[in-house]
Amino acid sequence: MKTKGLILILLLIAGQYTRAQNIDISGFARSYEGILFNTGDFGIVQQTLNLNFEKRGNKVAFKANPMIYLYNADSLDFRMRELYLDLYFDNFDIRIGKQQVVWGKADGVFITDIVSPLNLTEFLLPDFDEIRTGVIATKVNYYFGNSTLEAILIPVFTPTERPPPGSIWYIQPDFPVTPTWDFSREAITPSLESSEVFLKYTALTSAIDFEIMGAYTWDDNPTLHVQKEFGLDPNTQQPILTGLNITPEHHRLAIGGGSFSSEIKGVIVRGEAAYYNGKYFLTEDPLQPDGNIQKDYLHYLVGLDFNLGPVKLSSQFIQQSILNYDDHILNEKTENTMTFLARYDMLRETLHLELFSYIGLTNEDALIRPKITYDFDDSFSILLGSNIFVGDEKGRFGQYGDNSMAYMKIKYSF
Amino acid sequence: MKKIKITTAVIAIIVAMGFIPEVTGQSLTGKQIIEKVYNRPTGDDQTSDLTMTLTNKSGNQRVRKIKQFTMDLGDVEKSIMFFLSPADVKNTSFMNWTYESDQGDDQWIYLPALKKTKRISSDSKSDYFMGSDFTYDDLGDRKLEDDTHQLLREETLDGKACYVVESVSKDEDYMYFKTLVWIDKTNFIGVQKEFYDEDEDLLKILSIKEVEKISNIWVITNSEMKNVQKNHRTTIVLSSIQINTGLSASKFTERMMMRGL
Repeated sequence: MKTKGLILILLLIAGQYTRAQNIDISGFARSYEGILFNTGDFGIVQQTLNLNFEKRGNKVAFKANPMIYLYNADSLDFRMRELYLDLYFDNFDIRIGKQQVVWGKADGVFITDIVSPLNLTEFLLPDFDEIRTGVIATKVNYYFGNSTLEAILIPVFTPTERPPPGSIWYIQPDFPVTPTWDFSREAITPSLESSEVFLKYTALTSAIDFEIMGAYTWDDNPTLHVQKEFGLDPNTQQPILTGLNITPEHHRLAIGGGSFSSEIKGVIVRGEAAYYNGKYFLTEDPLQPDGNIQKDYLHYLVGLDFNLGPVKLSSQFIQQSILNYDDHILNEKTENTMTFLARYDMLRETLHLELFSYIGLTNEDALIRPKITYDFDDSFSILLGSNIFVGDEKGRFGQYGDNSMAYMKIKYSF
Repeated sequence: MKKIKITTAVIAIIVAMGFIPEVTGQSLTGKQIIEKVYNRPTGDDQTSDLTMTLTNKSGNQRVRKIKQFTMDLGDVEKSIMFFLSPADVKNTSFMNWTYESDQGDDQWIYLPALKKTKRISSDSKSDYFMGSDFTYDDLGDRKLEDDTHQLLREETLDGKACYVVESVSKDEDYMYFKTLVWIDKTNFIGVQKEFYDEDEDLLKILSIKEVEKISNIWVITNSEMKNVQKNHRTTIVLSSIQINTGLSASKFTERMMMRGL
């Protein structure tokens, strides 16, 4: 309760101060409730307040974006999504502080878009602007013509946020014996040596837009190093697995890639690819003592955006491929996914029909997301939607078959 | 997020009904009249605030506010718009490059929530702009050779002697069967335009309410488009208009789209 009171007081003080300083305030309040098809239970009961405080000048600007999530009746989650300062010069800008960075041309898929880690505590269901986590970074953009060179230094590593045990999105790992966890090597001490570095060249031209990127980063997902303990079966006198010691640890990754977007006869053609050097994968190879092996990895996408009459359509094909694959690796050699989006705006853009789907081609599963939004006026809207998980229970989407739900979001923007 | 996809800057509505204050004594053909309307001076650059008010048949209103900049670079005209309201599209920006040649427009939109600049298709000319009564085609530059123009008659409208010119698209799939435009004979400014649908029924009427001379260039500052079939109308009012202020080409870049106003 003390924390909640403190947050409230700080927001009130901030509100008074910003009024005095003529700071621009915008944001939204949102009520979001979802009911699981299987049980009729509420899968989510969430109230959100999103505030943007912004002050812009010719030479300097700042933004603070606190976000408050109230889950169920009394579980408060306060996040400072962004808090940064901008400095503007003739040919370059500097942004210092906590910020979200978005790269690439893909929609709903993260290939070169790896600067800001993801918050996957509700899987891929939050709006894409809410799924990214801010990183504390210094970003420099140098501009020449229609090109931009962007350099980012992140001294404080932020990992992917996973659903905690107890969450409907938490998947219990399947181990043959109860493991012992050692988290001593999971944290990364902030230092210059442990910083992440990202570079990107962007060109926006008449014929084509493209980006070329490189990164020396940490894998946002920890590698699970596994030490096995064996004993003798008292009956058969054969060696059997008696214990597992699991040590999560983040490893360095060197990544290179790029993306492009161009219009051909009214169709937007997009592509994006990233090459990961030495990514760790779990393996059952007995010659790998800690259950992992390093392989290069390719992740790419091609996509089309086009109109069919008044309906906006978009489709993407995504492939993840482990290079120099061996059969002991637990992941598939290649995993193919498609996305599909159809959108139709009616009644003078006050009624919006949308269908978005991830379709797992490898595991024959899917997440289907129909939704309908009605804008009562320019600031107030209601959304009715559904998240439908179907297909193979071992698939990325099919595993959440019990979490299919219908939901409603009521949003007031200001 | 509401859909925002815009063709050539909304300021082009001011263009579409055109200018050219020179008058010749000889009789003109429909094509020559429309050519004079289209080929009017607009200045090297323009800045303005745009307020668009949508009114439905019940009288309920919705208001959109935009800050826009345009610049003529010779072979390409660049424009950039920053959406100020409503709240859910605030800080969204849109950039359009229109080419003198037959090359299609290049268009990008920056969505602040997604922090992403996206190239979008300029293929949706018949879509309505932000729920208004203006289609993207209504707001964009139409080329003289796209239509067959015929002078129908000369008559007085609101006390102004006008040419009445009928324009029929050469493209059979065009959204309008024909348009009729009343053009003030004294200054070649269009004062009214009727749009007929594919069934040859009157669909919309565009009326020019106010015209101002700014930096020696005529600019339509208040216009209304009324859909007579749905009894819905949209007014566009321009204010804080500045012309030939020496805008920099660097204004029309991704950097500015993302930075905002």
